[in-house]
Parts: sequence; C-alpha cells; structure tokens
Amino acid sequence: MNEILMLMFGAMVILGTLATVISRDLFDKLISLGIIVAGIMPFLADRGLLDVLTATALIAPLSTLFILMAVRRKAD
Amino acid sequence: MPADPLHILIAALVCWLNFVTIDILFKLPEQGGVSGAEEIGRHIEKGGGALHGGYMMGNIVSSPDASAGTLLASCGVYATGIPGGLLAALLVYIGNRICHDPGYAGTTGCITATFIVYGFTLIGFSAADFIVGMVIAILTIQGISHMHASRLLSTLWRWREG
Amino acid sequence: MNGTEIALAVCGIIALYAAFRVMLEKDTMKKLPFLNVISFAISGSIVLLVPHPLAIVAAAAYFVGSTLESNAIASTFAGGPRNE
Repeated sequence: MNEILMLMFGAMVILGTLATVISRDLFDKLISLGIIVAGIMPFLADRGLLDVLTATALIAPLSTLFILMAVRRKAD
Repeated sequence: MPADPLHILIAALVCWLNFVTIDILFKLPEQGGVSGAEEIGRHIEKGGGALHGGYMMGNIVSSPDASAGTLLASCGVYATGIPGGLLAALLVYIGNRICHDPGYAGTTGCITATFIVYGFTLIGFSAADFIVGMVIAILTIQGISHMHASRLLSTLWRWREG
Repeated sequence: MNGTEIALAVCGIIALYAAFRVMLEKDTMKKLPFLNVISFAISGSIVLLVPHPLAIVAAAAYFVGSTLESNAIASTFAGGPRNE
C-alpha cells in the first residue's frame, strides 16, 4: 500500500469520526460509525492480519445490533 | 498490459449487465423483502424517484443479492481461480440465510459471474479489472443519483413485466 | 504503476467519494445506499491487497456484516419501536 492510499483511507476514518461527533440523530451516528470501521479494514488487510479483520468485521455489526435493541427498549 | 482503462470499462459494463439482469429476473423490484427495504424505497420515491426501482435499491442494501455475488465471485477468481468463486457462492448463500432471504438471486449471480469472469481471464482480462468494474457498476446504481437510477430500474422492471 | 495499483486507487477514490456523500446527505434512509457503496469498495480492496484464499472469507464476512448492520438500522428506523 502506497502513501496516497494510506492518506485516503486515513481520511475516511477521520471523516467518519467528525460525522459521528457532529450528527444529532442517533441513526446518523450509527451510520457514521460504519464509515470508521470501513476505514480501518484496509490497514488490517495490508499488515496481513486477516483473522483480526474477520473478527472485527463480525464484532462491529453485532455491537450495533445490541445498541439498536437498547434504543428499541428505551422507545417502548 | 493488464488493467488498462478500456478493460476496466468493459468489465464494468459486463458486471452491470450480469447483476441487473439476474436481479430483475428474480423479481427483486416487485416488493421490499424486509421492512427496511420498503422504507428505503418509500424515501427514494419521496425524493423524486420511482417506487419499484427504490424497492430494488433497498433490497440490494439490506441483503447480499446478485451484485454482492458478482463482486465476491470476481474476488474469488482473483485469489484462487474457479474454486474461489464457488467458495464465494457458498459464503453468499450463508450470508443470505443470515439476512432472512431465500438467497437464490445471490447464489445464481455468484455462480454465473464465476464462469463469466473466468472466461474473460482466458482472453487477456485480469480478474482485478472485474473487481473494480463491479465497484464502478454499483456506484452508478447506488452512488450517483438515486432519482435517476430508480427511474431507470423501474423502466426495466416494467419492460420485464410485459 | 501496475494494474493492481490502478485498481486499488480507483477503489480508494470511490470509497472516499461515497464517505463524503454519506456526510452531505440529509435523509437518514438515503445514507444507506452510499454506505453500501463503501462496503463494496472496501471488500474489493481487501482482496486486492491480499490475494489469499482466507481473504475471500474475510471480505465476505465484512460484506455480510455490513449488510446486516444496514438491514438492522433500516428495519429499526421503519418503525420497530412503535409497531411492537
């Protein structure tokens, strides 16, 4: 991976963080968290950590599911 | 010379035709498969698009269909050839079952794409062209203008219905 | 610049473009198709970076996980709390 690609994916992580902090709606915040996870993945793949990548890719959506369950209970 | 821009454009066209044909044959634009897909279709219609195209875009978002099958099949062929494509078909089927979908469109798209991509590698294309081609194809549907893409898909759907 | 590097650069540009579109879109439900474009581009670049059989499993796991997340967000937004 060359420097330009590292800059692009790093910029995605930073953009996702900014969007998470700025956005007001809870669903918007969860979608922006998805951008952060997406930006991390190429760095894990570039270092050859495919097992860590698979685990992260499965843990992140599951944690989102649990947050959504809490949202649903709070709304009831 | 591998991966010159002309090869990428041809690959994008082939991928677009493959996944749109299979999705429309398997009646994805008819209705939203889950409540989330219906909601996305309604929001796209509210923004000036067409309802059935919006349903198809919602279905693409909320379960792995033929577009995901085409992408993962090209990835499989890029890594290990035909067996990789068939492994990708199995993984797409498992993913469909997780998302409460019958999974025929995704698996069929994956298997046809495996053989199409393998055939093109024999005449000088690289499988990397097809990975980028599929990313460009999905960009034209989901990422440029929701209004125009949903109208185009609705026109194709009306044409298939007869 | 060889073929794989061109392919990776195109994937990265498309992912960054889609991230900008997600930030600029106002309607929550219309953000989800752009997030789907991001997950296509990232799954593609994982396999382009590491051409190994395990990379297919990793890319499929990432893609299915991100799809599941979008599905759950959309169906909760569609009125899960109120209809139950």
